[in-house]
Amino acid sequence: MQSTFALLVAIGCAGGPASPPGTDAPDAQSATRDTLVIADRNDIGTLLSILPQTATDADLMEAMSLLPIANDFDCSIKKLPGLAKSWEWSEDGTILKMELRDDLTWEDGVKVTADDIAFTYSLVADPTVGSPYINHVEHMTPDGRPKVIDATHVEWHFTHAYDRDTQASHANLMPIPKHIFENADRATLRGHEKANQPLSYGPWRLAKWEPNQRLLIEPNPNFTGPEHYRPRLNRVIYRVIPEYATRLIELESGNIDLMNDIGVADADRLREEHPEIRLVRRGWRSMDFIGWNLTNPLFEDLRVRRALAMATDVQGMIAKLLTSKGGEAYARQAIGTITPALCGVHNDDIKPLAYDVAAAKKLLADAGWTDSDGDGVVDKGGTKFEFTLTTTDGNKRRADASVLFQDQMKQVGVSVNLEKLEANTFFTSLRERRFEAGLAGWSADLVVDPSVVWACDKEGNRNEFNYGPYCNPELDTLVQKGLSTPNLRDSAPIWREVQQKLYDDQPYLFLWWMDEIVGINDRFVNTTIDIITPYKNLHEWEVPEDKVKYAR
Amino acid sequence: MWRYVTRKLLLAIPLLFCVVTLIFVLIELSPGDAADKFFSPDTPPEVRQNIVAKYHLDEPALVRYLALLRNLVAFDFGRSIGQERPVVDIVAEALPNTLLLSAVTLLVIYPTGIIVGTIQAIRQNRPVDTAASVVSLALYSMPDFWLAMLLQLLVSFYLRDFIDLPSSGIVDPVRYDFMSAPEQLVDRAKHLVLPGIAMGLASAGGTARYVRSSMLEIIRQDYVRTARAKGLRERTVIVRHALRNALLPVVTLMGLSVPYLFSGAVIVESVFAWPGMGRLIVQAIYTQDTPLVIGCFYVFTLLVVAGNLLADVAYAWIDPRISFD
Repeated sequence: MQSTFALLVAIGCAGGPASPPGTDAPDAQSATRDTLVIADRNDIGTLLSILPQTATDADLMEAMSLLPIANDFDCSIKKLPGLAKSWEWSEDGTILKMELRDDLTWEDGVKVTADDIAFTYSLVADPTVGSPYINHVEHMTPDGRPKVIDATHVEWHFTHAYDRDTQASHANLMPIPKHIFENADRATLRGHEKANQPLSYGPWRLAKWEPNQRLLIEPNPNFTGPEHYRPRLNRVIYRVIPEYATRLIELESGNIDLMNDIGVADADRLREEHPEIRLVRRGWRSMDFIGWNLTNPLFEDLRVRRALAMATDVQGMIAKLLTSKGGEAYARQAIGTITPALCGVHNDDIKPLAYDVAAAKKLLADAGWTDSDGDGVVDKGGTKFEFTLTTTDGNKRRADASVLFQDQMKQVGVSVNLEKLEANTFFTSLRERRFEAGLAGWSADLVVDPSVVWACDKEGNRNEFNYGPYCNPELDTLVQKGLSTPNLRDSAPIWREVQQKLYDDQPYLFLWWMDEIVGINDRFVNTTIDIITPYKNLHEWEVPEDKVKYAR
Repeated sequence: MWRYVTRKLLLAIPLLFCVVTLIFVLIELSPGDAADKFFSPDTPPEVRQNIVAKYHLDEPALVRYLALLRNLVAFDFGRSIGQERPVVDIVAEALPNTLLLSAVTLLVIYPTGIIVGTIQAIRQNRPVDTAASVVSLALYSMPDFWLAMLLQLLVSFYLRDFIDLPSSGIVDPVRYDFMSAPEQLVDRAKHLVLPGIAMGLASAGGTARYVRSSMLEIIRQDYVRTARAKGLRERTVIVRHALRNALLPVVTLMGLSVPYLFSGAVIVESVFAWPGMGRLIVQAIYTQDTPLVIGCFYVFTLLVVAGNLLADVAYAWIDPRISFD
């Protein structure tokens, strides 16, 4: 059997190094086009647009097709025509009228019409479907469905006007084909036989999905839209590779072309050793913070929370954990939960509390915390200032940040115990408020709505994502005022005030906003990787003829 | 023998019952539930209630447990909560991949271990014995995941211009669809090499130690001396007379290695992005997908029972003194 082993190795060696396929002449057009290979840790959850399970589901669906209103980003969301040719608002902002393209068909030749959109929203509005987008129809009438005027005209009627960007995003779900799903059992829609074999109307179509292995998309031969949407690649292959190290090896070996979420240290090394890999920064997409359990007497006093913030050298932690060897910082200190990418909305005037150990000690003393027994830990009324900082297991950045934080707290006489929990356990403990301090994170929301994180609990309805819980009725009123303001230009001053109030109250120790690093093989040009999606305008991505690696 | 086999299979029933019960209890005791993945900060309470009701997560644990047992009796494993597909379909996709990898691993472990252990016994205390012992112990001490990553780095990265062995997946993701049938076979074989070595090499070292020890005991037996005295060639003495008896503990090891293969597969499958049962069960546990977890462990248990049964039958075949009574 050793001979069998040797044979297997010989097979490997005999294959030779990887090279483009060969000898049979590919057709002239496809020979000049390449294949893009993407790798990520998780498989797709679903390709049904109204039931996404992960951000990747949404990213890929949007890359394959056309949203009614395409989103671009430049300090805020900019809207471009997609499936919708044009749209307009009524004067009072309660009606959005959309005119759809009349030249798009599903892969089976049936036209895409306003009926598909109305049907899609009827599913979203139906609680039995369980769509996470059901809140999109909360303020829509009648019954959460748009009004079909004719095949290419549809109207959304809202109960009241609120922020236009938000309203538009609520009316911007990708339609699913009515003629396929109209008789489907709504309770088990996710398991429908066609749910993961979607019909496309966009430039791409699903060619094959091998669960937990790969997903192949290819140009939609039945695409009836404008020529400039025609893809310039032969195929896009999405591979599932759970291990970060394996994805990195594959990227460096050239076996994959695009990898998300590259670590800072690895980015340094790639820059030095792999000039063929282009590194792209996606913008301030996610943040880390330390959330205080505000029901814990240790954290009730604002002076204590401010002291802990002043005792934390956030810039120093960024320098150690999120800055390259060459001095390029991939994070910036956070002052709130609104991403700095929303320039004009993000309050750049808020100066973070300066790192000042002496001032922190003084503030703690003012709040009654002193080291009365000389053991190095401050105390008050016989209680030592000691707490447990919990975070998720498996996240090296947060683990390292915890250790640095623990060390910095020692300087002011605060004792911190570190605990790492499995992800489900950790987030359950946050939502159930069974923690003392938690090091966690949020993703950037490009449609501003601080109520998700900061709204007070209501009677009979706890805001599970307000971990503290933090409750400031004045802030709630301000947030509702901002949400009701039609446009970001007018609501920006309100959001800036919200950020100031939150920063003053320090319900979190805001740590940093991070820039996600994406690595892409340099042979791909016309690529757009931005804060919205790493696969923007996928139909435009291409490879110059002389650099094509996979000729079919 | 058939009575013995039937008895063993019947004993699997209470074993399956215990496994299913234990898994169910452990998942129940875990914080959170399978519906959590469908909730976002914006999910209204009534939608959450609908999702919880849809998956019967609002029913008492005992009710769900009894429903589970009733379904299992009818071999109905239900649908995965996360994927909303029949558990049988999901397991049927992953199981062949794990069985294939396990088969290759067994081919690495036992032939290698038996050959090396035999040579060590024959050349006891000579340099080859010492060298093999050092290497065996070193390999046996290595964690699977470390060896896996080392192989990936060395073979698929540093030596990629000389050796074409892929470091992840089960087929070439780009070219496989355009390959001829023989090329596809070769491609699949290439993808098995590194994961098979990663899973098998460490255990091969351990097996070699067992075989060496067993052979040393056997070759000192009177019947082996008799065989030599009869003038038989040394090769015949070792292979036909000594090795067969020395393999008895190895056969026991084979039966015991079935659970190891599946547990070790979890790590190796993750490192090599091998879409097998190991990865599947880890994902199912993380998402508390009870039907899928139960389905996977049900299959694991059956495979362990089958593996041990095969080991018992092989044991009796090798040693005629052993009876099934």
